[in-house]
Amino acid sequence: MQAFIQDFLDDFQRNFIQDNRWKYIVDGLKTTLVVTFLALILGVALGFLVAIIRATYDKTKKLKILNFICNIYITVIRGTPVVVQLLIIMYVIFASVNIEKVVVAVLAFGLNSGAYVAEIVRSGIMAVDDGQFEAGRSLGFNYVQTMVYIIMPQAFKNILPALGNEFIVLLKETSVAGYVALQDLTKGGDIIRSRTYSYMPLIATALIYLAMVMGFSKLLGLLERRLRNSER
Amino acid sequence: MSANGEVLIHVEDLYKTYGQLNALDGVTEDIRKGEVVVIVGPSGSGKSTFLRSLNLLETPTKGQIYFEGVDITSPKVDIDMHRRKMGMVFQHFNLFPHKTILENITLAPIKLLNMNKEEANAKAMGLLEMVGLAEKANAYPSQLSGGQKQRIAIVRSLAMEPEVMLFDEPTSALDPEMVGEVLEIMKQLARDGMTMVVVTHEMGFAKEVGTRVMFFDEGKVKEQNTPQEFFDNPQDERLKEFLSKEL
Repeated sequence: MQAFIQDFLDDFQRNFIQDNRWKYIVDGLKTTLVVTFLALILGVALGFLVAIIRATYDKTKKLKILNFICNIYITVIRGTPVVVQLLIIMYVIFASVNIEKVVVAVLAFGLNSGAYVAEIVRSGIMAVDDGQFEAGRSLGFNYVQTMVYIIMPQAFKNILPALGNEFIVLLKETSVAGYVALQDLTKGGDIIRSRTYSYMPLIATALIYLAMVMGFSKLLGLLERRLRNSER
Repeated sequence: MSANGEVLIHVEDLYKTYGQLNALDGVTEDIRKGEVVVIVGPSGSGKSTFLRSLNLLETPTKGQIYFEGVDITSPKVDIDMHRRKMGMVFQHFNLFPHKTILENITLAPIKLLNMNKEEANAKAMGLLEMVGLAEKANAYPSQLSGGQKQRIAIVRSLAMEPEVMLFDEPTSALDPEMVGEVLEIMKQLARDGMTMVVVTHEMGFAKEVGTRVMFFDEGKVKEQNTPQEFFDNPQDERLKEFLSKEL
């Protein structure tokens, strides 16, 4: 037992303390959080925009051309792997441009997430009873006002669990950013592994992801309960 | 009553087709100020389509609707401005579940009439007193019974001070014991001189407060008359058959 603990401490020292290797993890974590956060904002903004266009078309048959463009976007994004999208943005679209890898990652993951968020939001909008829409319009609200004051708040409540899930997926998905040599959390852990050949860095990496996801799930649960309470 | 009031809504040769079906098959009607027009008829007769056309929740296939002299079917007209003056009450209430009762009532006056919050709240409370639901101001719709919800829905429309109230089967989704409380409010409105168009199966209401009763069948107004004549002396064969089933 004594020997095991001593081994563990030695391993730990070698993997994280020696040569300040913990910095790979901490810097990687920062990068992962920055990419996830910015991609989330881009994805949610894009997703809501696309969803509103698509739902407007579904309800009123207006915005036909925009709806067509949105459909292509969703089909392409959902039909191709995110790694391929990341590589294309890095090595095809920005091939001849010197651009920050973080920006490439944010664009790739944001565009990718947007397509999924769009379908989540659209399902939320379509799930709100048509009578709500008619009630709003009959009071004299225009289409946009009805959406903002009456439909979206209800839709948002419906889709909160699915949106939270999408955020979790996004957070974990950024782990493929290493494909364009961005040093995120996963890449940071893997760099240490390639030096020390120990099980420790990758396990530590996994535990950090797990802790973040669990913490976020907890927060989401609290928020859901609060929103639900406001109706009873 | 004031059947000689000025024309508030004029409907000119209105058609609505769904594929092969003619839901409205050439309807020309006037609704005058102060009238309580009760519309009855079998399901699928076009009576709801007619009512929902009056504020353009249904877009007519052909024909015009003039509200206060303006052709609201014209694409140049800002229909939202006119809808503010046409209250509508639905079969399924359609209260906003994410807002309190008070917020349900004040939302439109605050956002559309630029009323300040205090003024809107005071007005809403006055209306809630009128329907006996002041103590529910801070409740949510899910905490109310069907009859209470429908009374709130009526109040929500009234808060916009409409020129006319449209009722689309307002008691059809209610438990029998709750029908009375809603009809009572509607009778009160009628006594206060509100112009009303009511689609309903409540023949008692039609007899008691209607100034005119209209029988819809196959997308047309087959017969209309004062309540007394309408019920005591129906002419149309389909109406006779309909009344024998309803009464």
